[in-house]
Amino acid sequence: MKIVINVTVNQKNYELAVEPNMTLVDMLREELRLTGTKKGCGLGECGACTILLDGQPVSSCVMLAVEAHNRKIVTIEGLETEKGLHPIQQAFVEKGAIQCGFCTSGMVLSAKALLDDHPHPDEQDIRKAISGNLCRCTGYQKIVEAVQSVSEGEQTS
Amino acid sequence: MLIPRFEYHKPSTLKEACEIKGKFKGKAQLLAGGTDIIPNMKKRIILPDSLISLNGISELKSNSVSGKNRCARIGACATVSSLIRGKFLLPYSALLTGLESLGSPLIRNMATIGGNLATARPAADLSPSLIAYKGKAILCSVAGKREVSLDDFFLGPGKTILNDDEILAEIILDELPACTGSGYIKLGTRKALEISLVNVAAVIALEKPDGVIAGARIVMGAVGPIPLRATTAENLLMGEKPSDGLFAEAGKAAAEDSRPIDDFRGSAEYRRDMVRVITVRALQKALHDIR
Ligand SMILES: Cc1cc2nc3c(=O)[nH]c(=O)nc-3n(C[C@H](O)[C@H](O)[C@H](O)COP(=O)(O)OP(=O)(O)OC[C@H]3O[C@@H](n4cnc5c(N)ncnc54)[C@H](O)[C@@H]3O)c2cc1C
Ligand code: FES
Ligand code: FES
Repeated sequence: MKIVINVTVNQKNYELAVEPNMTLVDMLREELRLTGTKKGCGLGECGACTILLDGQPVSSCVMLAVEAHNRKIVTIEGLETEKGLHPIQQAFVEKGAIQCGFCTSGMVLSAKALLDDHPHPDEQDIRKAISGNLCRCTGYQKIVEAVQSVSEGEQTS
Repeated sequence: MLIPRFEYHKPSTLKEACEIKGKFKGKAQLLAGGTDIIPNMKKRIILPDSLISLNGISELKSNSVSGKNRCARIGACATVSSLIRGKFLLPYSALLTGLESLGSPLIRNMATIGGNLATARPAADLSPSLIAYKGKAILCSVAGKREVSLDDFFLGPGKTILNDDEILAEIILDELPACTGSGYIKLGTRKALEISLVNVAAVIALEKPDGVIAGARIVMGAVGPIPLRATTAENLLMGEKPSDGLFAEAGKAAAEDSRPIDDFRGSAEYRRDMVRVITVRALQKALHDIR
């Protein structure tokens, strides 16, 4: 039996009827067509499905959609504004921190949660913040540099 | 991977949750952070008819230091991150180290302390220190509440003393006596997303500053079906002055107290040897932690 939930996604309020066994990542991708959130392992291990839940990064593949009732969610689609890409997104592009891109939305959101709390993290803080997000391509160095460049204010857009 | 169908309940009080759990008993599972049960349902290892979400119950999330004896009362649904941020656990260094080494930031933002105990994984990161601090658990059902020592909480891998109709509501840690310190060491091959190969929590109390050891608790994880006390090692420390030689002897005794098995993560022999090494380090950490 479907359950009606109220959820805020990227500052928009939705009333949705969801099956209890639907995960949050599937709700975002299939019901709201927000396919920027990726689904990798589906078991909480890779971080591809990272979203911000009330500002904190979590794996949306191990969370039920019904549990998002009355919560605020930000997905990667929520970062860009009419002015253009979010500074973290811009930095990822400029620093070559994206190869296949599968981990990128999760990486960017984990980095955003870090920078929102600590605008000037050191390298270890950055590595720790993205330690739940696996990247098969880049070797992490350019991702760390991209986040560093935002914290150092190189990005102004 | 899809989650098999189930009936969803979301009570808003502990009393209501106990009533639902009492009605469905073993056919219902509780849902806290979901980091253990959701993957297990996807893998079809656990197939409950019903899930009872505990996330609408604010009393299970509260945590504070209270009472005239200044004990720390931790709601079972407190997330790992909230406990790290909360600061009130600062005196409990071994527990804090365990909290900080659990999973990854994403997992820590979801995983709860109650879920960590209830799943009773032999390698879990929070149980060794909670036992070492002589922690207690409050279990609730429609019949009432009972308080149990965490020493008696675990029965085997995945098995606890919780009855089918009970919910773990709270964990209580007494205020640490003066001249007490603790340390936790997790041995794994990575810094994040790692299951312990071996872990050890140690708490030591000195009779007075620079005095002899008046209390010692050493608990080892991942080297037996449940977290194990290294009682021979503890006894050996009592009444002695801390020294490198004494800690080395305690490490050897702890290795003898452990009951590791061979698996794909490591051999029993290696694990036993690592118990020896990290017990010494956990004791040194505990000694440094005495303030
Ligand atoms: C990628 C990944 C990495 C992990 N790394 C670690 C790690 O490093 N160290 C570690 O120790 N664990 C680790 N875990 C395991 C897990 O995250 C933790 O054990 C976590 O604390 C479980 O809590 P939860 O709230 O998510 O439990 P849930 O999944 O919500 O519940 C688990 C079980 O506990 C029962 N339960 C939950 N709350 C209660 C309660 N209040 N009363 C009675 N029963 C209850 C439920 O019925 C259910 O069967 C990891 C998991 C994942 C997916
Ligand atoms: S898809 Fe969610 S953590 Fe891998
Ligand atoms: S860019 Fe391919 S996984 Fe990170």
